[in-house]
Amino acid sequence: MASGTYKGRFLSLPRHSRSFLVFVCVLISLSAIAQPGPLTVGPTRDTTGELQIWGWNIAAASLNKLVPAFNERYPHIVPHVNMTGTNLQSRFLLSLSAGVGAPDISQLQLREAPRYSITQKLTDLTPLASKYANAFPPSFWDNCLHEGKIYAIPWDMGPCAVFYKTRIFEQYGIQPDTIETWDDFIEAGKTLLDRSQGKIKLFILPTGSMDVMFEILLQQNGGQIFDEEGRIAINSPQVRDVIDLLRRFLESGVTANVQSFSHAFYAAIRSDMVATFPLAAWFGGTIKDYAPDMAGQWGVFRLPAQKPGNLRTSNLGGSVLVIPDQCTQKEAAWAFIEYTLCTPEAQIEQYRNFDLFPGLLSTHQDPFFDQPDPYFSNQPVRRLFSQDIFQIPTLNYTMDWFEAVRYVTQALSKWSSTGMGPTDELLAQLEAKMSRRLGREIAPKTAEAK
Amino acid sequence: MARPQTRSWTSQVWQNRHFYLFISPFFVLFAVFGLYPLIFSLILAFNRWDGLTEMTWVGLSNFEAMFQDEIFFTSLWNTLVFGLMYIPPMFAGAFLFALALNSTWLKMRSVFRAAFFLPVVTPMVVVSIVFFLLYGEEAGLLNFLLAKINAVFPAFPVKSIPWLTDENWSKPAVSILLVWRWTGYNMVLMLAGLQGISNEYYEAARIEGAGAWARMRYITLPLMRPVFVFCTITSLIGTVYMFDEVFVLTLGGPGTSSTNFGLYLFNTSFTDFKFGYASSMAYTVAAIVFICSLFVLRFRKTDGD
Repeated sequence: MASGTYKGRFLSLPRHSRSFLVFVCVLISLSAIAQPGPLTVGPTRDTTGELQIWGWNIAAASLNKLVPAFNERYPHIVPHVNMTGTNLQSRFLLSLSAGVGAPDISQLQLREAPRYSITQKLTDLTPLASKYANAFPPSFWDNCLHEGKIYAIPWDMGPCAVFYKTRIFEQYGIQPDTIETWDDFIEAGKTLLDRSQGKIKLFILPTGSMDVMFEILLQQNGGQIFDEEGRIAINSPQVRDVIDLLRRFLESGVTANVQSFSHAFYAAIRSDMVATFPLAAWFGGTIKDYAPDMAGQWGVFRLPAQKPGNLRTSNLGGSVLVIPDQCTQKEAAWAFIEYTLCTPEAQIEQYRNFDLFPGLLSTHQDPFFDQPDPYFSNQPVRRLFSQDIFQIPTLNYTMDWFEAVRYVTQALSKWSSTGMGPTDELLAQLEAKMSRRLGREIAPKTAEAK
Repeated sequence: MARPQTRSWTSQVWQNRHFYLFISPFFVLFAVFGLYPLIFSLILAFNRWDGLTEMTWVGLSNFEAMFQDEIFFTSLWNTLVFGLMYIPPMFAGAFLFALALNSTWLKMRSVFRAAFFLPVVTPMVVVSIVFFLLYGEEAGLLNFLLAKINAVFPAFPVKSIPWLTDENWSKPAVSILLVWRWTGYNMVLMLAGLQGISNEYYEAARIEGAGAWARMRYITLPLMRPVFVFCTITSLIGTVYMFDEVFVLTLGGPGTSSTNFGLYLFNTSFTDFKFGYASSMAYTVAAIVFICSLFVLRFRKTDGD
């Protein structure tokens, strides 16, 4: 068939079909023209836009609640916050990979931010965000950067402390203020176990998923899985101390072997299975959610130190907001991020309503932090959590962080189920395995811990 | 059709374009959702790709890495152990239930049939919650019953079982769930097989004086062989690519003790973003499954039909 026939056919199409074909062609060429540009100029009151924002449960609800106040500043920007739940990570990856379908703003876990920063698929926020470099704790801010450029803005963080049931502590005569180190903590656990005839354990430490506790302890004593050059740094004196502490926990018998964040775990908030939860600030919101009627029956004391006089806090979790590079309304998106994360009023509002501990340091001076929390026996828990936050060491997250932590979890599980062999052996094996599997060098050993 | 044979096939296609148009939906859908991913993942198997940055051609190095990957072999081993743990009891249960449902003495057959099939259609999330309640170490129903038994027979104390938190118990825990979930499905297949056996064989055998055992041994079992083979192959493939049971119950843990191949594949691609490596594993295991299936099919042919 000659091409002339096709031309003839096109012309012989009914008029509306012809115009439809032309319309499609125009659309295709238009979509090629509407390329998203870089973010260089800030928003003004007249900036317009309709934003799609992805976040998960409490966080999304928290952003939603800020929309009216945001609209007072930017009346022409309409934010739509979607709770996308557990699929968020996969859907975000797919939409970035496909180049279409990503939201204008997405929430990410702090520890997964580096994996996306290196891909060049997130908007470089440096021109507008660099002024906030000192507004957040360094342990948080450093992981929002890649090669000196800012790709994410810190949201909530997870400073750690110990939540405890005041009734149990009183009944069995345990004084929370006498607990200064983890070894004091273990001793308190033994007393508790003795006096309750073995019924009440001190806290939950699942041998199959010790990663949560491992991460808390690791960041507390300045240990690393990766050094700053991305080499494997797990075979260090700090990590050895962490493993030895885990060993003492398990050997003492004060821990309950329950999967982290499982049904039984949440049930333990109400039951007398365990007396404490050494966890991050956000867990306070979870406790209140699960047991609203236990107000006044909970207290908080600072995280025990690994050695007397050492740091009595750590961090677990935390999240950031990012703008995918395919976003076509970057000014509007930045306006929303800047308002929700970089203004004290919005961050404090989120802490007040949803227990999202603000990463923004200027909020910590607010009198709100000194108010007693009636749920936690009128303690000023917010002040307690904010103490020494600046001293929390930075944990070097990498793009293969999750994989690395999985190897740690697997190794610890095997280690604990096979009689807890020598720590050195465990770490040497782990180091070799990580180096092989992640294709990374092993960091040179320093003579002594700092 | 009275057309000369010399016409080219393209013009024939053009001539019959309407008919081709009618059958095209399947081919279009298959091409987009079946063929394209198949070919793309084959290409991926020779590349390194995280889904976000550029793909890099790495030749066979994904396959080389696979042979040094102890978790890959652990996951295959776990898959095999799962298969050996749950398929035999599941088959026995399915066959016995099918026999019972096929017999004339049982009343309310449709109720039983529905009840046994129910686990297959129950959402895994709901199932997982129930099984968590059963398996809990400190507050689970099974350990509660164990404690009660201990109270009755204090002479033989049995310790509470850490179903989901101990490396040695996670496989039995998942296997029990699998037996519970898939027995009904296989039972329905076997029931269909039993109902397909003509009653004439049994009548003839009865006239010849064959007892119940002889009828089972020489009529039922041989004639059920195709169904058994089919169930074996589907269970085999199901075990390799099983995902949701393990994902909701143990996440493959503690350690790697319950990581089967399907879950490892998921972790490699969607947690670690190693799509190339995951594809190379998927193709390798698909080849293994293909060979195993051929082997099972051969067993069917030896003296069956």
